[in-house]
Amino acid sequence: MIDIGTGASIEKNDVAAVEEAIRHAKTKKVNKERIDLAFVFHSSDLPASGIIKNVSALLPNVPVLGGNASGFFTHQSLYKRGIVVMLVTFPEGALFTAGDIHNISSAGALAAGEQLGEKLLSGFKSVPRNLALLFFDRLTQDNAEFIGGLQERLGKSFPCVGASLSSPDDSSRSGLIFNKTALRDACAGILFGGKISFGLGLRHGWKPLGKPHVITAVSGNVVHKIDNEPAVRLYEEYLAYDFPRIRKELKNLSVLYPIGIRIAGQDEYLLRSIQTINSDGSLVCRGDIPAGSVTRLMISTKETCLEATRAAVEEAKTNLAAHALKFHKEKSSRLVIVFNSFPRAAALGKDARTELKIIAESLEPGTGIIGVNSFGEVAPLATQSYHGQTYFQNQMISVLIIEG
Amino acid sequence: MSDIELLMNALGMLGIVCSIGLGIWIVFLLSDIKQLRLSVDNLKHTLDEMDEQAKLVVRTDIELNKAQEELDKKITGLYTLQTLSRQISATLDEAQIFSKIEPPLLADLGFEKAVAFGWDESHPGAVIRLSAGFSEAETAAISSLIDGEKTHFKRLISDERAVSSISPSIDQGFRNKVCTIFKVTAFVISPYLPKEGNKGIFLAGAENPDTVINEGDEELIKILANQIGQALDNARLFEKTWQAHQELESRVEQRTRELSQAFEEIKRVSQRKNDFVSNVSHELRTPLTSIKGYASILLSGKLGVIPEEAHKRLEKINKHSDELVQFVNELLDIARIESGRMTLKIAPVNLKNIVDEVGDMLTVQMKERQIAFSSILPDAIPEVMADYSQIKRVFINLVNNAFKYTQAGGRITVRVQRVDTGIQVDITDTGCGMPEDALDKLFTEFYRVDTAINQEVKGTGLGLAMVKHIVEAHKGNIWVKSKVGAGSTFSFTLPQSV
Repeated sequence: MIDIGTGASIEKNDVAAVEEAIRHAKTKKVNKERIDLAFVFHSSDLPASGIIKNVSALLPNVPVLGGNASGFFTHQSLYKRGIVVMLVTFPEGALFTAGDIHNISSAGALAAGEQLGEKLLSGFKSVPRNLALLFFDRLTQDNAEFIGGLQERLGKSFPCVGASLSSPDDSSRSGLIFNKTALRDACAGILFGGKISFGLGLRHGWKPLGKPHVITAVSGNVVHKIDNEPAVRLYEEYLAYDFPRIRKELKNLSVLYPIGIRIAGQDEYLLRSIQTINSDGSLVCRGDIPAGSVTRLMISTKETCLEATRAAVEEAKTNLAAHALKFHKEKSSRLVIVFNSFPRAAALGKDARTELKIIAESLEPGTGIIGVNSFGEVAPLATQSYHGQTYFQNQMISVLIIEG
Repeated sequence: MSDIELLMNALGMLGIVCSIGLGIWIVFLLSDIKQLRLSVDNLKHTLDEMDEQAKLVVRTDIELNKAQEELDKKITGLYTLQTLSRQISATLDEAQIFSKIEPPLLADLGFEKAVAFGWDESHPGAVIRLSAGFSEAETAAISSLIDGEKTHFKRLISDERAVSSISPSIDQGFRNKVCTIFKVTAFVISPYLPKEGNKGIFLAGAENPDTVINEGDEELIKILANQIGQALDNARLFEKTWQAHQELESRVEQRTRELSQAFEEIKRVSQRKNDFVSNVSHELRTPLTSIKGYASILLSGKLGVIPEEAHKRLEKINKHSDELVQFVNELLDIARIESGRMTLKIAPVNLKNIVDEVGDMLTVQMKERQIAFSSILPDAIPEVMADYSQIKRVFINLVNNAFKYTQAGGRITVRVQRVDTGIQVDITDTGCGMPEDALDKLFTEFYRVDTAINQEVKGTGLGLAMVKHIVEAHKGNIWVKSKVGAGSTFSFTLPQSV
């Protein structure tokens, strides 16, 4: 069974913080000597170089994935500052390979995705692979191509789950950690296979409001016209704000009122938050939108968000149950990785604690949880018509349960 | 009519009927379409109405979100302010006060950067007291740039006025300069104004262009600056008190040292005095013994008959020699006790024996003077731990004194009783008594009460001093109660034998 230990520290000194978090994590593990994988997330006030140096000193030869994030949590608490660590030992028969790719923009997103796919596949030969877990330092429009390249190698409908740790608008953060290196413009991933099961649950909690509108002109992620009118008119009408005010308050409005795309077979609308508004009134969204899509303005409350969290965990458990029968007839244990969109967590405010309580209470006691606030998520759509194709998502909570 | 004609007629009839039917059906269909169109129009209208309601919902939601955001910001700000105030107030070290304002707490107040500075007479430029959210290089740059705006900042201090980037009264040129110097897009400036010492400026700023500040933020920063001013006053007051305390402590130490030195000096002088008395006494005793010896030989007539007048003089020599020997012996005893050279042979002592012996010793003299002597000793009185011969000297001295100052027909009573601290002895006489102001000095060496009777009664002034030394050497106490004309009671205690 999977042996997990999580630890955290809010020490201001990087040496003391790493030492304390790893010590706490080790005390919760059964096997304190063998560690197969470590997840490490830290705040920007702790230097990445110090974190890497101290983690590699305390965990020599252990693959390390993580990075600098604006918020993170374990099953016990939420943190804005400090460090969280999850140490994992996988059971016999489980297999994983870890790899990274950096300078994605200069290499070309598609090619970079293919390269990472090849790196991850290098460790797998005859063993069936199950899922790829991906960490990006930032997700941009090019990441659709990157995922395409990755799936060229791993399989067109191969499930990939991941998230970006930094906002694409924020260049101050130090990026990803992969083993002994701090990476920028990069992706670090793990390919899992063998006797290990997964269950993924995805929800956001935003509900459609008002009448449906048709996207009449779109190119990629830029919506030019809705109902043959400049796209920004949708916001002008609903919010009764003029164009300059919408532009000024866009950051906040985009989180509160994204647009949603109806996808047949999906429980929830696919959310698209607005990144910028062009002067011609076209909306630049975080993610592609198919032409002719029916769109609605979306709205949420704290209650609908918390309900979505509950539903995401339940969905992950249901999906896990369907897969888990294959291997785990005897004793097994679970670890949970949560990507919770930062804007969503910010909108929840103090209720983010309630959300963590919901996650922890919906899972069996003793389940190791590590979570990070993300800025854009990638996950497969559940509906059959999309053949499990990985899609770029906004403002989601993704709950991934790994059992072994 | 042929069959064909009949068929044609029938078909014609059927056509007419069908046409009428079709017409009727078309009329009904048109009616349904109209109905359907009406329903669609109704639905569209409802949808439009719902869409209008949705717009109202969104607009209300925006207002609610803003109100909630304001409220959350205010609550977080107040909570942070309370935390900061508590930390600042608890700090009595001036240098530590500003270090409490850390970036995470600033973030909770809605700001990313803070700086506190002022002008000190001992320093040519501005003195930066706090720099949070700035690099060392940025801080150094700020330090040199704020001097250019010194007039503006000094006016804020003298006017005791807070301003922010949204203040209507702020000079736009000054506003832009503050934004440039501190690399902020929004700010609040409030002076901190301690009652004593240097006043200064506290600035909280935000770099993020989306940051919106309001009057509430201005109020929060103003309160924080006030807290800083008060904390500085407290710290300075504490510093003063602490320094005064240190000074007092050092003075006390100095005085204690001086007193110790004086005491040591006194001890040395006292020791020298004792040594001197002891040496002189020894030196005196030898010639005295010779004088007394020669006087005795002369008085015995072994060297020939001595004329009457000479005999009288020799007896005086003999008597005065005895007194001088006693005087010298008492001096020697006091010196021995004071210097710790006297060794007490402590053993259980029955006081009844001593009282009886002293009584017997003075019986003849008492009878001659018609003085009654009585003792009150309970049968079960426990023994005391004492040096028998020394305690006997105490009794002899005190009873002898009582005898000296008690007129004929008077009474001397010795009472022994058990008390909490051991055994107490009271020697009471019905003599002339002493004035109250003499009692304190009574046990001092060479002191004699200045009364008429003392002109007649001879004494060295050493007896009571020696008695006191002996009692105290036994860890006891001695005191006297007396009144002129009403007699005296000398009391002393001795430890009880276990």
